[in-house]
Order: sequence, then structure tokens, then C-alpha cells
Amino acid sequence: MKRWWAQPLVRVLVALALPAAVPALITALIWLLPGDPASIICPPEICGGTDGLAARWNLDRGPVHFYRSWVSGALAGDMGNSWRVLQGVPVRQLLDAAVPNTVLLILLATTPLLLASVAAGVGWLPRRLDPAFQAMGLVPAVVLALVAAAAVLLRYGADAHGDQAAFIRLLLGALVLGVADGALSGAVVGVRGVFDRERTQPYVLVGLLRGEGELGNMLPNVAGSLAGQLRARLLHLLSGAVVVEAVLRIDGLGDLLWRATILQDFGLVLAAATGFAVVSSVLLLLQALVEVVVAWHVRRAPLLPAEVAS
Amino acid sequence: MSRRWFGLAVAGICLGLLALAAVLAPDRLSEGDPARAWVGVLDLPPFGADDRGRPLTEIALQGARVVAAPAVVAGLLVTLLGVAGGLVRCVGSERVEAVVNVLRDIVGALPRMVVILVVALVMPLDWRGLGVLAVVWALLAAPGAMDEAAAVAGRLGGARFVEALRAHGFSRTRIYLWHIVGLNLRPVVVRQGAETLMQVVFLEIALSYLALDAMQPSFTHSDSTKSWADLLYLGYSSLVLDVPSIHALILGLGLVGVTALLSMALGHAARAR
Repeated sequence: MKRWWAQPLVRVLVALALPAAVPALITALIWLLPGDPASIICPPEICGGTDGLAARWNLDRGPVHFYRSWVSGALAGDMGNSWRVLQGVPVRQLLDAAVPNTVLLILLATTPLLLASVAAGVGWLPRRLDPAFQAMGLVPAVVLALVAAAAVLLRYGADAHGDQAAFIRLLLGALVLGVADGALSGAVVGVRGVFDRERTQPYVLVGLLRGEGELGNMLPNVAGSLAGQLRARLLHLLSGAVVVEAVLRIDGLGDLLWRATILQDFGLVLAAATGFAVVSSVLLLLQALVEVVVAWHVRRAPLLPAEVAS
Repeated sequence: MSRRWFGLAVAGICLGLLALAAVLAPDRLSEGDPARAWVGVLDLPPFGADDRGRPLTEIALQGARVVAAPAVVAGLLVTLLGVAGGLVRCVGSERVEAVVNVLRDIVGALPRMVVILVVALVMPLDWRGLGVLAVVWALLAAPGAMDEAAAVAGRLGGARFVEALRAHGFSRTRIYLWHIVGLNLRPVVVRQGAETLMQVVFLEIALSYLALDAMQPSFTHSDSTKSWADLLYLGYSSLVLDVPSIHALILGLGLVGVTALLSMALGHAARAR
């Protein structure tokens, strides 16, 4: 506890650096790989006029020029136009349409995870259900997403791309994300493990003997771990969202990133990856904030009532 | 038979099947016979045929070759890095631990699939394959394994545990390799390695399926090779259209199940005492 601020400080620094580092790293990768950047992004055997494209995409004057022009544009809200996915359409417009859907998807997927975590932490969720959660978690997201996509197609037929079907796809996507790839089982087992370990600490037993609540005593000490677990779960969901959105045709950031990658739309990948980096930064900052608040709370000397002190 | 030996036997069988399938995989699919399109398992044992009358066995074998080596390498890499994470805690150097923590925060800050897609995008065409993506996935999964292994080592007592055993006259090699890695870190690092193995197989299936769906070349294998995702893609038609390809879906899901079973069995074998 001597340097309680070190870990939150590292998280804040990483959070601040991430949105700038991700486009820098992608730019550096493009230039570090053998071959001409324009040819890597758009191989001559696939597209013609590579020199012209390089000039249009700012790739002809080195990585620093490319990075600076892209970042300055992004800070002003201009991330250029899509190169391939929807040629000529501003990337910002595509992101504006996609981000709310992804946010909604993640929020919907997080809700059951949070409820299950709380239930596991306070002991409402029976342990005998853990093997069932773990078995469910073994199913890959792509398989569950396929089942969900088939269900929507069978139920709605020609209207499968209508508004109502889109909402159902979003709900099913959230369900798939929340269950597949060990998301639910990880949340339940992880939170239960944290509380189980803490329950064996002497201070909890002493607190119980004093007639104090178990949860109230444990919570400040496990809050940091829980915040870390929650951030990891959210990152896991964001990662899974790429597959789920692409299979279920949910117009979100993950689907956009996938389409941009498969169609080699470098400008859109840069923007979408930076978007994910911004979300990750926010999560890191929130975790750091929880750690700081908890550290201050724990380090505050508890004032014992006179009768207890004597 | 104890749980440990049962787990080992199941894992050995699954891994053996995967390796055997990878070795037996044909370089190219056979020409097929259009007259035998979609024939079932009884007409073309053991798994039936695809839309061109080619045996699904060949697709299953080629899919095993696509995933086998990269998945095993990724699993081993995570296991080794997990061991390193546990040992660093036992060495008791605060500086090294601080560096590892910072690296962990940086590497673990982004969603894995985003990093994978960026790597897939910038990967030159002639580097394309699951190998690079599997190593990247392993590096992204490693911080979690290192963290868990470090927590186990921390509960042991870290550097004090090593000192105590040294006082009993054990050599450093024996303490680190046997007492720490063999007896205490083994359940955690083997489970993490097995999970990564499974995740790499599922990653390949997901990426290949999405590429098939978008009618684009896959990032994980050449166009002349089929993967297990092709089985799911063929089989999906049986769910939404009147295509008699349910046998492809069952085979694809079966292979997913075998992979999950392999991962579970390895974890159980390493955990059981």
C-alpha cells in the first residue's frame, strides 16, 4: 500500500496514450512491413493506379505526414472518406451510425452479467449451477450467433431486415455475447472467487464477531478487483461484438471494422480501431478512478467509537 | 481410473485425432461427383458429401491441418508465459513486477479481436495464415495467464516460499521447476494454455466463416484449402433453406465439440491430484 497511486497512475497514462498510440502503431506497422505501404493496403494485383491512390490517401509523403494529417483531421472531426466499404461516404458518418448500436448491444449484454455477478457475490446463485454456466460458455460465439441468425431468418423471412427484426437481432446478439465464449461463466466464477478468498480473511471474521455485515466489510477491499474484472469482461464483450455483429448483421462498430478489414478499407479500420481504443481508454480511466476512491476510503483511519476503543 | 488419468486419456485421444487428421489431410480436395451432391453418411461414409459430391471427410481433415499446429503453438506459448509470470513473482523483484504490470496493462488494454483484425489487415498476402494470428492471440491472452499464475505464486508466499525451501536444502532448479511450476502453477498454466488452444480454433472458425459469408478470401488459409468453417457454412443452409446439408452442420458442430472437450480434459488432467 506504500505506492497505492502507482497502479492507477499507470492506467491513466495508458488510457491517455492509447487513442494516439493505436493509429500510430497501425501507421508504423504499415511502413515497417516490407514493401510499399500503398501496395500493402491495396495490392497492385487487386487495384490499379497504386501511385495515384497513395497520393489521394496521404501515403506518399512518409508515415509522420500520414499520421499527423490523419490525427489533426480526426481531432477536427474529419476522418476522411471510406475507401472501399461505402466509397466516398465520410467515415465519421459511418461511425456515428454504428457506435450507438454497439453501445446498446454491449449495455444489453452487460446487464445479465452484472446481475449474475452480484447474485454470485452475495451468494444468491447456487454453486451447483456453475458447471451449467461453464458448459454454456464453451460454445463459441460464432455458433450461437448462427443459431440466432437462423432463428430470425426463419421467423421473419423476407422481413428479416426490417426494423422489428433488427431489434430482435440486437436482443439475440446481446444474449449470445453474454453467454458465449465463457462470458457469463467467467463473470460468475470470477466474482465468486474474489468473494470466497476475501471471506477467509481474519478481518471479515472479526467483523462478524462484532456483529457487522460481511459484505460491507469486504466491499472496499474487493472493489478494485471487481472493477478490473468488469473492465476485462467489457473488453471481452467488445471483442466478441465483432463476430456477433457481423454474423447477425447488426450495424455496429464491430461489423464496420470487420467489413473494413475484409475489404482492405484502411482509413475505416484506422478510425474504427481508434474508436475501440477510445472506449478502452474510458474503461481504463473508470478502473483507475475506482482504485483511487477505494484507496482513499481504505487509507482513511477508521474512527472507533469510544466504547469500542476502550 | 483416477480423474487425472481419465482427463489425460481423453485429451490424448482428442489431440491424437487432431494431429492424425492434420497429417492425413489432402493437399487438394478431390474432384467430386455432382451426382453424389449432399449424399448422407450412409451413402458416403463416414460423413457424407458436400454440394459438389466431395467427401466431407476431406474438408474435416484439411480444417484440422489449418488449426492444429498454430493452436498448439499458441497454447504452449501462453503456458510458457504463464510460467514466467509465476516465476517472476517468486523471484521477488519489485522492479521486474512493475515492468510486467505496465506491459500487461498496455497489452490487455484493447479488445483482442480488434488487434487481430488490424494485424490481419496489415499482414502481407504471402504471410497470410493462422500462424501469425495465433501467436498474436497468444500474446494478447498471456497477460491474463501471467496474472493468474502470479496470484497463485503470491498465495504460496512468493520469494519467502523459495527461501523456506532453500532452508530445507532443495536446489533452486528443483524448487522452481518442481515445487513451483510442477506442483503449484501446473493447474493454472495448463488450463490457460488449453483454453488458448481452443480459442485459436474458434478464432479460425469465426474468421473463416465471416470471410466465406462476405465471399472474400480467408485470412487464415489459402483459397485451395477448406476449414471447419466451411462445414458450418454448408450446414447453415439446412437451417434456413431446404438444403439437405444437416450432416455437414453436425460434423462441424462435432469438431467444435471435440475441441472444447480437448480443452476441458487438459484442464481437468492438470487440476486433478
